[in-house]
Amino acid sequence: MGDKITFKSFKEMPICAMSVADMTYNLTGSWRNVRPYYDYKISPCRLGCPTAENIQRYIFLVMENDFEKAWRTILESNPMPSVTGRVCFHPCMEKCTRKDFDQAINIPAIERSIGDAGLDNPKWMEKKRATKKEKIAVVGGGPAGLSCAFYLARQGYPVTIFESENALGGTLRWGIPEYRLPNVLLDRVIGSILESGPITVKTRAPLGEAVTIESLEKEYAAVFVATGLTRSRPMGVAGEDGPGVQRGLEFLHKVNGGEKAVPGKRVVVVGGGNTAMDVARCARRSGSEVTVVYRRTMNEMPAISDEIEEAEKEGVFFHFLAAPKSITRTGAGPLSVVFQQMKLGEPDESGRRRPVADGDKTFTMEIDTLFTAIGEEGNASPFEKAVEVSGGLIKIKNESGETSNTKIFAGGDVVTGAASVVEAIAAGRKAAERIGRMLSGEPEPVVEEPRTISIENINTAYFTKGKRTMVPRISVEEAVAGYREIFTGYDGDLLRREADRCFSCGVCNYCDNCWVYCPDVAIKRLAEEYEFDYDFCKGCLVCVTECPRSAISTREEGR
Amino acid sequence: MKKVIMGNHAVSYGVRASDVKVISAYPITPQTQIVELLSEMCAKGELDAKFIAVESEHSALTACVGASAAGVRTFTATSSQGLLLMHEIIHWAVGARLPIVLVNVNRAVGPPWSIWTDQNDSLSQRDTGWLQIYCESNQETQDTIVQAFKIAETVMLPVMVVLDAFFLSHTFEIVDILEPEQVRPFLPPYKPEFRIDVDTPHAFGNLASPGEYFELRYMIEKAMEKSRSVVRDVDREFEKHFGRGYGVVKPYRCEDAEYVLVTSGTVASTARAVIDQMRDEGIKIGALKIRVFRPFPFEEVYDVLSKAKKVAVIDRNISFGHHGIFYQEVKSALYGRTNVPISGYIAGLGGRDITPKVIREIADKLINDKKPEPGINWIGVKI
Repeated sequence: MGDKITFKSFKEMPICAMSVADMTYNLTGSWRNVRPYYDYKISPCRLGCPTAENIQRYIFLVMENDFEKAWRTILESNPMPSVTGRVCFHPCMEKCTRKDFDQAINIPAIERSIGDAGLDNPKWMEKKRATKKEKIAVVGGGPAGLSCAFYLARQGYPVTIFESENALGGTLRWGIPEYRLPNVLLDRVIGSILESGPITVKTRAPLGEAVTIESLEKEYAAVFVATGLTRSRPMGVAGEDGPGVQRGLEFLHKVNGGEKAVPGKRVVVVGGGNTAMDVARCARRSGSEVTVVYRRTMNEMPAISDEIEEAEKEGVFFHFLAAPKSITRTGAGPLSVVFQQMKLGEPDESGRRRPVADGDKTFTMEIDTLFTAIGEEGNASPFEKAVEVSGGLIKIKNESGETSNTKIFAGGDVVTGAASVVEAIAAGRKAAERIGRMLSGEPEPVVEEPRTISIENINTAYFTKGKRTMVPRISVEEAVAGYREIFTGYDGDLLRREADRCFSCGVCNYCDNCWVYCPDVAIKRLAEEYEFDYDFCKGCLVCVTECPRSAISTREEGR
Repeated sequence: MKKVIMGNHAVSYGVRASDVKVISAYPITPQTQIVELLSEMCAKGELDAKFIAVESEHSALTACVGASAAGVRTFTATSSQGLLLMHEIIHWAVGARLPIVLVNVNRAVGPPWSIWTDQNDSLSQRDTGWLQIYCESNQETQDTIVQAFKIAETVMLPVMVVLDAFFLSHTFEIVDILEPEQVRPFLPPYKPEFRIDVDTPHAFGNLASPGEYFELRYMIEKAMEKSRSVVRDVDREFEKHFGRGYGVVKPYRCEDAEYVLVTSGTVASTARAVIDQMRDEGIKIGALKIRVFRPFPFEEVYDVLSKAKKVAVIDRNISFGHHGIFYQEVKSALYGRTNVPISGYIAGLGGRDITPKVIREIADKLINDKKPEPGINWIGVKI
């Protein structure tokens, strides 16, 4: 077989049209003028993730039932999927291609399942020993600090975390209520990070007298500062300093620390972000009647929309286009709060329409407690002699967190102002990578411009429209009665059902379509990939059309 | 075991006796009962065959082509429009050299719509390379199916077995039923020389250049020529096994006949009754039934007819613009070898009955006409 055959006489011919040898001598690949080639892109979800989780990959591994590999895949860019799977604002879902087909994949719910599987299988976590001599200090044990410590420890650097509170976690512990992120779970997550490598923790160690940035800079090879935002922003309203007016964060700190905090019967929360939602819902759980007063409308609220929806379900009232103007007290009795009615004006720098006073329209509410949740401020004073600061925040030069001081790096809210858990995690990881390269002298990697795809590149004929798989939860009545975690997460079947919806945008998931459709049998199926046999590929590009996910690209021959 | 069964069921029993492995068919009157009984046999496990129900006759024969190419014995049955819908694949089965057996129950072609018999459907497939055998009785029908498989598998050409609608398909007669155990020594399992097989892959039905196509067509004709003796030998061997033989042609009282009526199908039986009547009157007349139409039995036909003074060919078909098709064929068989005058008579189109009276009218016309009509003799046309 393989050689061209010639009949000696027609008597050798079969009686019907039938091949008696194969045609492999005829290298039909020479007819090709366009060459297909496997070309994996970056899925849009990954580009949407601040810490660039390889989402397509771990969803694929879930479908392969390989949770350990899925978990390892996430841990390359995020050490706490159990946390982000619960509290992340999931910008990945905004980018999900499936959003333009039916509904985005519930990526955080899948991430959470994988993260929890990792917690249940502590052996999956590879324990790193200290292999480097340079010690590194991390100031602040929130998501950015923990992330930075984890990725430094993975490289073998001994890390010491300085935490001002009595326990690690930062905003995860003190800012996010237990019904979203149980403390028990957070302890397990932090425990897994601390056990992963040479990490030492010093709690109740605020920067101040005993420890200063200057002393750390002297003692350690590098310092990563991630102290977050420590001060609630004042409203600037007459009468706000006094009984009955509390900072939302302080209330959350008490609630999360297990302290009994009863705010009174009638409660107003001023603000429209996630902290406002958390405060309002915790107050509901203390039996209060809660109204959120926000100066813009629901459309402009920075809170995660799911959180707003849950707050409404739990009986939180919303009053939009109003801002407190003055607060007066009569003895120890209720507060009398005058609100200025607002209207939306021109868009501000964030693109949201700016609230402006609607003439002199006001109204008054008699309440027991007013919580402020209009944002937090940084306190950069401990660092201002060591690094360049501005407006209470540390200034950085690039996303690796380099500051004006070559030994000091920074990340998280102390750099960005109020941002998100996942952005803090990303900042910590990137700083850890940069510190490692700085200390080892490794060159910076060359980053290529990422290529991605969109719905136009998906062969939607291969997919059936359907709905996102609902995440099981306890009832609203059960939820509001205490601090039990509301969403209980997917079981195995639901997880697979949701994972199965993934298009695997731009990345081969071994669906065999190209291999099946190739009319020239010019695609070889290897263990974990396919390969074109260019001796026989005629460049018909049926594979390109039939690839449901645009994992094959083309280029003209001879160009 | 003997049973009184209809002609269509005689076909089914012939298929059962032949250990057929794949049957694919689409129902059409008047053949439907053939595949109805076969599907029942398959369902009951009396016949170990795969019955493939399809959405058209084109698909039915295509399924048979696939199954036959995969190396198993295959059968289908159809009629009229159904056979015509198969036409593309009728050619394919020959070119691919697949020994499929097909029963066509002769039914007139529409429009006008008709379910009654005439031979234009099967004769329109005359030049495709299928062997064609026309049956006269239910017993002959059953036995011919068994013979057809043996012939087909010997020469690697498909065989069409043809029955008259209703006159044969729906008429009940006594049939000595053949059992598969009896037949196996005569018709062993089909063992193809080549077949579709994943373990030894070949491409089939490939492109052939002008350098090869001609030779492949030559080989089909050579197989057809070889089938002349194969048909004869198979019939003789069958007779040895089962005591019944049918011949390629069947002459009746032709030894000293001055006049011979040439017929096919069930008309042959009617004609023999008329011959007996006329012989009683002292007229030297005989009849010749043509059973095997393809390959055409030139020698057998010449042997019988060259001794006669006048010959009449009765056609239940017409080739528009020419004549009856059996008439053309008989004439060409005798051309240049004898000057016996041959007249062509067309009768019974669209299932009109060819009674003894009709045949007598033809015989009388043949004997009395001084100069035979060179064109078509229309029998019973009311215009």
